[in-house]
Amino acid sequence: MNFELSEDQRAVLDAVDRLVERHRTTLAVPERCHYSVELERALEAVGFFDCMTIEELGTVTACASVMAVARLPLCAEAAASSLIAPWLCPELPRPFALLWNRDDAPTRYLPVARTVIRVRGDSVDVASIGTEHVKHVDSIFAYPMGVLRSASSLPWRTLPNADATRVRNFWRIALAAEITGCLDAALASVLEHVKDRRQFGRPLGSFQAVQHRLAECATLVEGAKWLTLKAASTGTALDAALAAGRAQDIATRISYDLHQFMGAMGLTLEHPLHRWTYRTKLLRADLGGPDSQLIAAAQAAWPETHRNAIEGIAS
Amino acid sequence: MEFNWSDTEQGLREKVRALLLRELPNDWEALSRHGPGSRAQTEFSLAFCPKLAAEGLLVPHWPTEHGGRAAPPWEHFIIGEELWAAGEPRGAQYMNVNFIGQTLMRYGSVAQKAQYLPQMAAGQSIWCQGFSEPSAGSDLASLTTRAERHGDAYIVNGSKVWTSYAGLAQTCFLLARTGGPGKGGIAIFLVPMRTPGITVRPIPSLIGVGDIHEVFFDNVAVPESARLGAEGQAWPIIGYALSHERVGIARYEFSRRVLDRMVRLLQARGLFERETVKLRAGQALAACEAARMLVYRVVDQRARGLPPSADANLARVAVVAADNAVADFCVNYLSDTLSGDDFPLHLSHHERAIAAGVASGAAEIQLNLIAHDYLQLPREARP
Repeated sequence: MNFELSEDQRAVLDAVDRLVERHRTTLAVPERCHYSVELERALEAVGFFDCMTIEELGTVTACASVMAVARLPLCAEAAASSLIAPWLCPELPRPFALLWNRDDAPTRYLPVARTVIRVRGDSVDVASIGTEHVKHVDSIFAYPMGVLRSASSLPWRTLPNADATRVRNFWRIALAAEITGCLDAALASVLEHVKDRRQFGRPLGSFQAVQHRLAECATLVEGAKWLTLKAASTGTALDAALAAGRAQDIATRISYDLHQFMGAMGLTLEHPLHRWTYRTKLLRADLGGPDSQLIAAAQAAWPETHRNAIEGIAS
Repeated sequence: MEFNWSDTEQGLREKVRALLLRELPNDWEALSRHGPGSRAQTEFSLAFCPKLAAEGLLVPHWPTEHGGRAAPPWEHFIIGEELWAAGEPRGAQYMNVNFIGQTLMRYGSVAQKAQYLPQMAAGQSIWCQGFSEPSAGSDLASLTTRAERHGDAYIVNGSKVWTSYAGLAQTCFLLARTGGPGKGGIAIFLVPMRTPGITVRPIPSLIGVGDIHEVFFDNVAVPESARLGAEGQAWPIIGYALSHERVGIARYEFSRRVLDRMVRLLQARGLFERETVKLRAGQALAACEAARMLVYRVVDQRARGLPPSADANLARVAVVAADNAVADFCVNYLSDTLSGDDFPLHLSHHERAIAAGVASGAAEIQLNLIAHDYLQLPREARP
């Protein structure tokens, strides 16, 4: 058991943090969503998306990098590029969009994607796409959202040895990383606000009612973060389902508290809180939402095959 | 990063499990129903702990000069997980090895170490903590039990309450006021419980027979040599002790094991096929494992020699939530097992869960500490 990053991992993550910080721009025009092509290209240029395949860095570094990107108020496709493509389809152009079972649903990153990955049952298909294949969809979720104009006419290619279960596992880890990154950044922005904002002659953050709820939020976020890193490290189906399920399950309560403490400032497009909130809302619904992940975790933890061995306990 | 156990660590766990299989009697679950403070479990611990000591499993994390082998903190935690999850056959002696011993090593005099540490390392030592008072619970620094100096001794007067394990304890880790108000006026005394003037009265409680007590001090004479540290120096020592206490008990592991048992029972009853039951089990599981990760983070920091931090407070809050998630799961789907005496483990888990957020400092105090020390929020104005 060792919770410390290696020197190599630390160095890469520090570099990711520095790069990410350079893109933490305050946007002049308030908008629900801002996709940063510049950030995405910068990440690609420094080889950020290859971490998973470099032995000294591995999935933990890729996962922590996805968390770091998710902390930004702007977005860039990093999860599939970092945690799925390196082992599934490294030769295909990025950014990626992932479709689960349905290919007619509004999906994040489709308007910017060059490759779409579709998982249907045990089959994993890929297709190259361009903007002509996608209809942009206005959305409350703070991602570029689109639908395929004609999914059936795309040049789909089934990946012969692709393991759909493995895609699901790593997508769960990616979701957990993105949610915890978003929640972490949202919490930090609210902490800054409650330290500055004064009401009744004192900072909001000095009221115990506020402190306790933020302390509980911090405890939930930290727990989810470490479950996510553990899942990235072990890669087991149980750990992946548990990390994603936990992150999705805590998100609503945390987002509620954070908006309460941000007050009306959090209703404006000027403050970036809404971006983390709405990205989290979409991520929370992914793969069937927290119930699906937590049921999957329960099935992995307590498979029914053990049942025969324990029949005696009931008697 | 590495989230798996090494072969050495796994081997240690197997060794503890083998010892438990060998040493725990068939009626252990019924015997341990009332927890570490009960007479049955205390008496068992006085026979069991020497066997642990003989196997090098009682104080492996202590330095060699005190009977240990300076093993990494992880080893102590692995042992703690196995023993607490098994119902704690060390009885109240878990406190000695979790934090009292380390506190004496760091702050005790040569004579105090010589008097108490060998007994602890031999598994023959029952302690209680004289902390809370009728008017000083969460606000511990307002305690009023007084230790008045008379020559080279102190005369202690006052009372303690909700004192775990006091009924059978040999020694009390006592906080008393030697100076003015507040944290700076407190001193610690190591007081033999047989000292004349001490009266112990058990408090009937929800958390097992023999757990909590009132302790009265009526002109109790305590020699100066029994004082731990200097007068007025108690607070940093208490802080040190509590930082070890907060993550000392492997409650998450007990909750996880009990949850495993509950699920197997539901499977055997054919009731685990319902998706809502699986969902709730998954939620309780996630709470246990999140708590485990936060505790492990603290152990990891300790293993690397880092000073205690507010991370321990986060761990404690998460553990309380996990305990309650599992206890609630049991009430939801296995409430029948909480009546009668067929499922003593469910009952003892349930009772410990209700105490988890209160014992050793309320969860709300942990939230205060997280707010100030971890989130750096401004302190609330106090009247």
